Amino acid sequence: MNRAFAFAFGRCRALVALAAFATLGLAPVSAPRAADFPNQPVEMTVLFGGSSATIAQLLADAMAKELGVAVAAVSRTGASGAVGYSYVKSTPPNGYNIVWNSNSISTAHHNGNMDFNYAAFDGVARVGMEVPAMAVRTDSGWKTLKEFAAAAKKQKLKVGISGRGSFTHLSSAALFNKMGVDVVYVPYGKGKAPVELLAGRIDAALQWPSQFQSHVQAGKLRVIAVTSAERIPVMPDVPTAKEQGYDVDMVLWRGVAAPKGTPKQAIAKLEQAIKNVVDSQEFRGHCKRLGFEPAFLPAAEFDRFIAKDDVAIAKLMASLGLKKSK
Amino acid sequence: MATTLGTVVGLVIGSIPGLTFSMALALMLPFTFGMQPVPAIAMLLGVFVGGMTGGSVSAILLGIPGTPSAAATVFDGYPMALQGKAGQALGAAVMASAFGGLFSLLVMILLLEHVAAVAIKFGPAEIFALVLFGLSTICGLAQESMVRGLVAGVIGLMLMIVGLDELDGVARLTFGTVQLQQGVNLLVAMIGLFAVPQVISAFIDHGRAAPAKMPENVRAQFPSMKDLRDRLWLMVRCAGIGTGIGAIPGTGGPIAAFLAYDHARRFSGSPQNFGKGELSGVVAPETANNAVTGGTMIPLLSLGIPGDPATAVILGGLLIHGLHPGPMLFRTHLGTIYALYIAIVLAYVVILIVQLWGIRLFVRVLQVPPHLLAVCIIVLCVLGSYAIRNSVFDVYLMGIMGLIGYLFQRIRIPIAPVVLGLVLGETLEQQYRTALILSEGSHSIFFESGVALVFFALTALTVGLQVWSASRRRAAVQA
Repeated sequence: MNRAFAFAFGRCRALVALAAFATLGLAPVSAPRAADFPNQPVEMTVLFGGSSATIAQLLADAMAKELGVAVAAVSRTGASGAVGYSYVKSTPPNGYNIVWNSNSISTAHHNGNMDFNYAAFDGVARVGMEVPAMAVRTDSGWKTLKEFAAAAKKQKLKVGISGRGSFTHLSSAALFNKMGVDVVYVPYGKGKAPVELLAGRIDAALQWPSQFQSHVQAGKLRVIAVTSAERIPVMPDVPTAKEQGYDVDMVLWRGVAAPKGTPKQAIAKLEQAIKNVVDSQEFRGHCKRLGFEPAFLPAAEFDRFIAKDDVAIAKLMASLGLKKSK
Repeated sequence: MATTLGTVVGLVIGSIPGLTFSMALALMLPFTFGMQPVPAIAMLLGVFVGGMTGGSVSAILLGIPGTPSAAATVFDGYPMALQGKAGQALGAAVMASAFGGLFSLLVMILLLEHVAAVAIKFGPAEIFALVLFGLSTICGLAQESMVRGLVAGVIGLMLMIVGLDELDGVARLTFGTVQLQQGVNLLVAMIGLFAVPQVISAFIDHGRAAPAKMPENVRAQFPSMKDLRDRLWLMVRCAGIGTGIGAIPGTGGPIAAFLAYDHARRFSGSPQNFGKGELSGVVAPETANNAVTGGTMIPLLSLGIPGDPATAVILGGLLIHGLHPGPMLFRTHLGTIYALYIAIVLAYVVILIVQLWGIRLFVRVLQVPPHLLAVCIIVLCVLGSYAIRNSVFDVYLMGIMGLIGYLFQRIRIPIAPVVLGLVLGETLEQQYRTALILSEGSHSIFFESGVALVFFALTALTVGLQVWSASRRRAAVQA
């Protein structure tokens, strides 16, 4: 009955997921054996909307082809990711529930909004990275961070970010700490910072490269730095902050994790599927157009990477007064 | 072909409460990955405009907005349906939608650069002033008692505070639970407030009162051409409101629909008919919310700024096909842009055909006995409130909001101002705070902008007129 229902609504992924969920709930509980993983649909919880959700859908579609079962990207947004993380943490660790995670696992925890941290999950694989870029108006005349710093020392400048405690805020704070300047952070939700910069209400904005691209081509905005250790392929002419003498390395990573205790075989299967997807030309092409940089990392290394990143984020947030002690 | 498919999907999903066009867009997006750019974007646009139009169907027939933008349509559309004039209301809604949509498209084609240049001038201070003006429309929605209306409005505003604040990331009124951090979703609250009280009433009345008289042979009577011709000027003004508001990033459909509704009421010869089944009360918000679709495309295409979640998905669709919205798009991909304009026109042709044919079918819903309909509505409510964020918590929330709504009905607190508070609350608060951060705490930012001053003056005028007319009425009663 439920299967027929799922079939009729085949177009509608959320409903499929719902129906599949109902089927699971009704079927007599038999512990799924890890050896024949996967034999049911896999549900990937997505924590945010926007381009990150688009990447998640692309990944889910391609993973479904690799695994031979449906992979549904189901959106559970809200509370800076805490809602989705809490949901996935509460699901049985059998590999059928995974989460499209990111640095938000650390920021949501240290913000004091989530009482568990990355240790509640087993990493499956890192998929890629996004690098914040800093833009100014072309008519400001600033071409380098040094020029910006000189101006910022004379007068307090306003910098647009996505929200206090967001990754663009942390990255700009790391950068401006190194530059030794004090700025006013203006938080904008919903990607409005570039238009505010164009309108002249703020002096600079730290956002994602794809948001600036068209304005840069039109000659209105200039990207003066990216916060990664190396230059990024979508903006090869833009120097890193490190090249300009300010040693920061802030990148937003994205990957897949499963609840702690998920069987090793299941993780290995998912990891292999993700690796094949990330290696494929098609996925790389899509990523490039969306300004996302594929950067695969296998499960074990991914776990170590997250742990290291968490320490760095905790330290940075503490220095900004954003860390709530728990 | 792709547009047709997209439009029909949009219409269907838009008309089911809880399944919004934003969600439909997210679901359709993966299907467009493998398509050519033009059909892909055309399909997404079809879903967008179809969904915006479809929202009016359940608003009119069931009194539940299919999408948040259709909330204002409920106030007069549902009473019309109860009076057996569902066909007229639906017909007018479709035609008004098509008019609003095509009007905004025309504005987009002819004045894109200019509108974008004006829209960019709307910073946090100006948007705050605009939204404050929107809030003054509580005066018109408060029905019998201004005090009750204000109480309701404040409750609506307060509900939007719950959750994680978007600017500072601070949890407010969450009592330490993660679930409450996601806040009160606008549509979940609307479904609860509009639908559940109806269902409770239907069950309480069942068996007690004599079975309500079925409107006999509900005929799909269409609005006459005269009805629409009389309101042509109103439609033009509301389309203007919708396009303008849509063009300002960070506002959107629900706000435009409420402003248009209030505008129609204020400039109507018979404002007392509003809320009781006045055709203008359907035409105005429906024109405006569809005009928003064209309006939001202006900042999207010319600046690359998505004004709301729906256009954010369309932005994703554009990017994945290598189309970077912004000033360069018009130099490098002009052909594609014209193809998209044609797709929007096509979408409205499909909407007109499908809806005008479908109305005959839709009105039969009213022949279903209320207690049976109530059961169906409950199913739709649960499904819809779950599907918005895939969250069981939202189903409970919908139920709680429903009980609150029923309680309000009993103690005669009007629902409309609560909904207005919900719609405007988040924008009002965030823009106010962002403006103060920009000015480093000085309120002078609100008075240095001419645009903001105009809206403040309008707000003062609205409130002043209300006080004046109320005191005159009181004097008349005493005399």
